[in-house]
Amino acid sequence: MSTTVVEVRNVTKRYGAYTAVRDLSLMVPRGAVYGLLGPNGAGKTTTIRMIMSIIMPDEGKIALFGSQGSGKDLSQRIGYLPEERGLYRKMKVIDLLVFLAEIKGVDRRTAKQGALEWLERLGLADWALKKADDLSKGMQQKVQFISTVLHKPELLILDEPFAGLDPVNSQVMKDTVVDLARGGTTILFSTHIMEHAEKLCSAVCIIARGAKVVDGPLAEVKRKHGGSHLIVAAERAPALDAVLGDRRLVARADDYGNYAELELAPGAEPQRILQALVQGGVSVSRFEIAEPTLHKIFIDLAGADAAIAAEEAHHA
Amino acid sequence: MHKLAVVIRREFIERVRTKWFIIGTVLGPVFMGMFIVLPMLMADKGAKTRTVVVLDATTDSFGTRLTDALGQTGQVSVTRQSVPLANLEDRAGTLAQEVGKQGSLDGIFLVTDEAVADGHAEYRGSNVTSMTDMRTLSATLRGAVFTERLRREGVEPSVVGRAQIPVDLKTVKVVNGKVTGESGQSSFFVAYATWFLLYMAILIYGAQVLGAVVEEKSSRIVEVLISSLKPFHLLAGKVIGVGAVGLLQLGIWLGAGKLLLDRRADIAKLLGQSDEAVRAIGSMTLPEVPLATVAVLLTYFVLGYFLYAAMFAAVAAMVNTESEARQAQIPVVMLLIIPTMMMLGILNNPDGGLALAMSLIPFASPIGMPVRWAAAPVPLTQVAASVAILIATVAIVTWIAGRIYRVGILAYGKKPGLKELVRWVRG
Repeated sequence: MSTTVVEVRNVTKRYGAYTAVRDLSLMVPRGAVYGLLGPNGAGKTTTIRMIMSIIMPDEGKIALFGSQGSGKDLSQRIGYLPEERGLYRKMKVIDLLVFLAEIKGVDRRTAKQGALEWLERLGLADWALKKADDLSKGMQQKVQFISTVLHKPELLILDEPFAGLDPVNSQVMKDTVVDLARGGTTILFSTHIMEHAEKLCSAVCIIARGAKVVDGPLAEVKRKHGGSHLIVAAERAPALDAVLGDRRLVARADDYGNYAELELAPGAEPQRILQALVQGGVSVSRFEIAEPTLHKIFIDLAGADAAIAAEEAHHA
Repeated sequence: MHKLAVVIRREFIERVRTKWFIIGTVLGPVFMGMFIVLPMLMADKGAKTRTVVVLDATTDSFGTRLTDALGQTGQVSVTRQSVPLANLEDRAGTLAQEVGKQGSLDGIFLVTDEAVADGHAEYRGSNVTSMTDMRTLSATLRGAVFTERLRREGVEPSVVGRAQIPVDLKTVKVVNGKVTGESGQSSFFVAYATWFLLYMAILIYGAQVLGAVVEEKSSRIVEVLISSLKPFHLLAGKVIGVGAVGLLQLGIWLGAGKLLLDRRADIAKLLGQSDEAVRAIGSMTLPEVPLATVAVLLTYFVLGYFLYAAMFAAVAAMVNTESEARQAQIPVVMLLIIPTMMMLGILNNPDGGLALAMSLIPFASPIGMPVRWAAAPVPLTQVAASVAILIATVAIVTWIAGRIYRVGILAYGKKPGLKELVRWVRG
């Protein structure tokens, strides 16, 4: 058994003059919850579709479960929730789930039993005999999710699984993903919302404009690219601005108004900053040595343009 | 193969379950029943006697003789009014006021000396659209004029009477040197029914494939399917599934149609027809459809359906919505309409060049050949050539359609141009 479930090596995909994915490499280890992060239009969906061999890369190689077989040949072992997801609107939910499991090679009886269990688990048991059309958007999304896990795949690929879900259903989905991961399922999911990745992922790959910005285990990414970060909340005073502007102490400061997130200058100690603030007579209400958020790392590494794109995507 | 079976089964079951299938399947025989029952009711109605006035402006006794002849048909209650030629129009105008009024006059027959001399007479009435009535009137007039002309030439009335014994030409179709039970009329009827059935079936079920592909694309379920299935399996499953529904429906219709025709005497009795009418309906000769014709019909339905379904599927894969699909399917439908427009040409001359072309050209042959086959004997070599060409075309078109489908179902946005389509096919 290979320890790498998905391996993407130097993959490039172009659409005419537009390069959707540029020389991308990533590795998803077995058992990981792997986040593919980036703003809208970064190339996440294109990458996932290439992993599923729905589209072919122009250059580079993709291997699943350590073999050269394509996503389609191995579809029995993979559950895939595309970004553009739909259902047969006129079909009964239970028939639909059984059909989608059957084309993954599950026999009818097992499929039906599994579908009923999952509908029960996600609170949709009463809807099994209703037509897909009669379900709300959120319920439809849960049905779509069930269809990706019904055949007990080893690898789950979810493209923007939380998009369009209300907070309650979003939480249900996260809990389910965590459960599956505990059960040994490898999960690769994409999102443009860094907070989701922050909570769930054991490893991430951040991409912007088709190219990789950073990847690796979450803790390692944070350690390597975080620098040292401080969160400071203090009363407004000239001395505060003086400290934040002192380039010997502070490399960068993002002032959010209620608090500021600081990145220490090389060699600077948090203690020195606290000292400077106290000496300047600033009344400090919060002083915290913090890990940087993924969002911050992303902005630092991908630059302002990507950051703006990400912001827009976030609010879209 | 198992996955293909799963796709076929879903397509079949989901369709057969819809209320449209049930309604359509039931309504088919109901309509067929109406085709049988309505003429019976009509015949009843049509047998009503008409009241006609003969306005006689002749200078001899021809008007009287025409009046007698009309009376003898038993379908016309006729009275004669003699009128001078100068007053003919005035009197006709006055009588016309009465025409069409409840229980009065149905029409006026205007006769002058011209009737015998030049063969001109005029009928003005409220029933001129009734084919039966007009046939009676014109046949009677023709007979009376014919008799009158011969009488004037000095031919004896008894000779005239014998000369008018009707001649009936019985037409019987010859196939492969054998006389069949089919009459010319029933061959025409079978050919016509064949055309109608094939045209409707290919169009209806082809359009269903179009709808099914557009639905999968517009509902965006297709990406889920494509992650588990090869596009060709999805396409083939859809086409076979819909085709199976089509065969089932056709089978039910044909079976019901046969049953209705076999029991037509009972149906007539149920409708309260007289014993005589029931016997007449029961002994009516029906066009016999030989087994070979049924085999040809089914072969060409299956091949024609595959050909057109593949094209419909490719068209559907190029578009995003149902309304776009309705536009885009027009060229495909046109391909099917062309042989339909040539239908009468084929029937008029089933051995001619047009008929031969229409039964060999692959996009026309699914309709052209069965129609020709039903109308006249076709050399088996031509049938074999036609089927071979059609099968080869189905293979090529399905291959191209499959390539277009494979790319198209995942491509959203602008409809592809010809250049882009070529790129898709080359893949």
